[in-house]
Amino acid sequence: MKKKITPWLFLTPVLLSLLLLFGYPLIRSVFMAFQNYKLTAPNDVYFVGFDNFKKVFATNEVGMVAKNSLTWVVCSVLGQLLFGMILAIVLKKNFKGRGVYQSVVFLPWAVSGFVVGLIWRFSFNGEYGIVNNLLLKSGIIEEKVSWLSTPGLSLAVPTIAMMWIGIPFFAINILASLQSIPSDVYEAADVDGCGMLRQFFQITLPYIKPTLITTVLLRTIWVFNSFDLIMVITDGGPANTSQTLTSYMYAKAFGNYDLGQAAALGVILMIGLSLYALIFLKITNYDKAGDF
Amino acid sequence: MKKKVISLLLVAAMTTGLLAGCGTKEAATDSANTETSGEVALRFIDVSTSPQRQEFFENVFAAFKEETGISVEYEGVPWDDAADKLTVLGAADDLPDVITMHDAWMGQFTQAGWVIPLTDYYNTELKPYMNVATVMGVDQQISLYGDVYRIPDGLMNAGIFYRKDWVEEIGYEIPTGADWTWDAYFDLQRALTDSSKNRYGGSFRGARGGFDVVQGMLKDYTDGRVYDEEGNCLFLTDEAVAMFEAFCAPYLEGCAPKDALNWGFTELVDNFSGGLTGTLYNNTDVVPVLLEKMENEQWGVLPVPTATDGNVYNSAGYSYAYAVTDDSDYPEEAKQLITFLSNAENNMEYCKIAGMVPIRNDVEDDPMFGVDGPYGGFLVQLDYENLAFGCGYGAFDYTDMHQDMMHTEIQKYLLGQQSAKDALFNVCTELETRMKKYLADNPDATVEAPIYPNN
Repeated sequence: MKKKITPWLFLTPVLLSLLLLFGYPLIRSVFMAFQNYKLTAPNDVYFVGFDNFKKVFATNEVGMVAKNSLTWVVCSVLGQLLFGMILAIVLKKNFKGRGVYQSVVFLPWAVSGFVVGLIWRFSFNGEYGIVNNLLLKSGIIEEKVSWLSTPGLSLAVPTIAMMWIGIPFFAINILASLQSIPSDVYEAADVDGCGMLRQFFQITLPYIKPTLITTVLLRTIWVFNSFDLIMVITDGGPANTSQTLTSYMYAKAFGNYDLGQAAALGVILMIGLSLYALIFLKITNYDKAGDF
Repeated sequence: MKKKVISLLLVAAMTTGLLAGCGTKEAATDSANTETSGEVALRFIDVSTSPQRQEFFENVFAAFKEETGISVEYEGVPWDDAADKLTVLGAADDLPDVITMHDAWMGQFTQAGWVIPLTDYYNTELKPYMNVATVMGVDQQISLYGDVYRIPDGLMNAGIFYRKDWVEEIGYEIPTGADWTWDAYFDLQRALTDSSKNRYGGSFRGARGGFDVVQGMLKDYTDGRVYDEEGNCLFLTDEAVAMFEAFCAPYLEGCAPKDALNWGFTELVDNFSGGLTGTLYNNTDVVPVLLEKMENEQWGVLPVPTATDGNVYNSAGYSYAYAVTDDSDYPEEAKQLITFLSNAENNMEYCKIAGMVPIRNDVEDDPMFGVDGPYGGFLVQLDYENLAFGCGYGAFDYTDMHQDMMHTEIQKYLLGQQSAKDALFNVCTELETRMKKYLADNPDATVEAPIYPNN
């Protein structure tokens, strides 16, 4: 009995800190989702039932914002996966200067989102930006493009920036996984006359599947919850056309000071992301991934 | 046994260490505000931080400490984040002792009880030394909020900055007097636009604060008012909608950069001083930037255009006025600090750095603030016989609208997502709802009327 209590005693500080720093805000935000809680009137807080949830769905913009979220997550995660895998495959081969090349391409992951956001905002400035300058000089465009003030394009810029930041993360994970594949499997495949494509789909992909599943799952949740790039590059504009659900939630909390409605959005997102994780793990057969 | 005791001690130490970080705010605030020697330490937030402003305040605070023994800790927050920062601090009962505060937050801060009345202090300590325009502005504050909450830091009024060298280059004659109308201003923007030279005649404030410019102009058709006596918003007439469309037309025609849809104060000033745009409707606080970045012969200041009713609707505001918060443990010392900041020497120095006209009577002879100085274009407007100070949005809380809805509705119109009438309707309906609720909740309150200072 005593032996059973001792580990729990040692875990107490960590559990307490989790409860205080994670559990309390979580429970508090669920409460707030059912309250009229305006930051401008902190002394006038009362329960309103499901009003905040109704308001969220009654807003005209919520459909557009949800669609933006989907575009933001799908495009940036798919791009990261695709380019991350290409990068990993390239880096698996030994070539001169690989170490230097590897450090350079992994650099975006080490730069803060805020700095990346500023760099991309300046680069895509409609008047002075280097992107327009290069496109004009190369004859791809004839007129300056207002990237950040055109609906559609304004979301594309932070999406590409997010893709750029995330490629190294995929590359590092996939590269580690690729390096763990025994070389004799490929040698045997070569002897059997198996082509490169077949080797990729029947050896490489099954071996790295658990890594891919975990990385895609984690990145999807991180990208979904991330809004720093959007805030720095477009601030959700123009006219909310580059808002995603999380940046919209932030805008509700610190633009409209409506913490109740922001908390309601937060609860919806939390449920949505939990469901996504469960479904994703189920349909990708995560338990069986990597079994041969 | 020994092992068990050590284990328990370790667990207790870790838990205590963890909980030590969860001390109460009061304890933390007390320790922050009282130094070990027992001296008072004040906290101060500046909502429009810049290296120049920070240096000024820190120097003044050092001198203040030398004179009174009270130390002041400076904290700066960029203007675009200021409302959020102060709102969060206010909600957490953690506002610093003294804040610089914008007029747009008055309804919110007074309703929430975050700032304390300073009427008696103002009347005895400061009013006798203040100039007429400043006193008039404070009187307006009293009529709206019942008390003085914000002590003016410096006087700001509006004008139109323009590229004098561009105008001379194209040989354009700018109309004057009653002919200098809003339409004339829009024509000037068109005339200065030259795509071959990458010049835009106009600046457009599409982001936060954009509606302030629009409503300033719409008052042309409402005798300077925003509401009628019953609290109905007056911006929904056909003339007002047509004026709003005319205001946006130069942008839609390409006389302002497309990216201006996202421009706030910083972008407006940077692009004017950087040579991309030829005109800029703004307040005096742009002057120090232009003095630093441009040659004097490159720019000038035009008055605010004459309205159709013959008046010139301008403002005499003080955007970063000093306020003492309800969270302060040392309100008397905080007032002492404001008195020190407002003395003739410091106020003059501050106004030169911040781009404002001094609030005091005893500093008027400085050449910087004479009619031939860089502020001359603003000062002469204060003497216009047809000068009028238009009304504000109301004494209620509209910070959330100012932060988001007001400019978003304009953006939707400019992007073709709604009509000009719908954009105005959406903003006006919300303003009207809040105004009527305010009037119902405060039966003694009246709707603000414009002031004609020289009549």
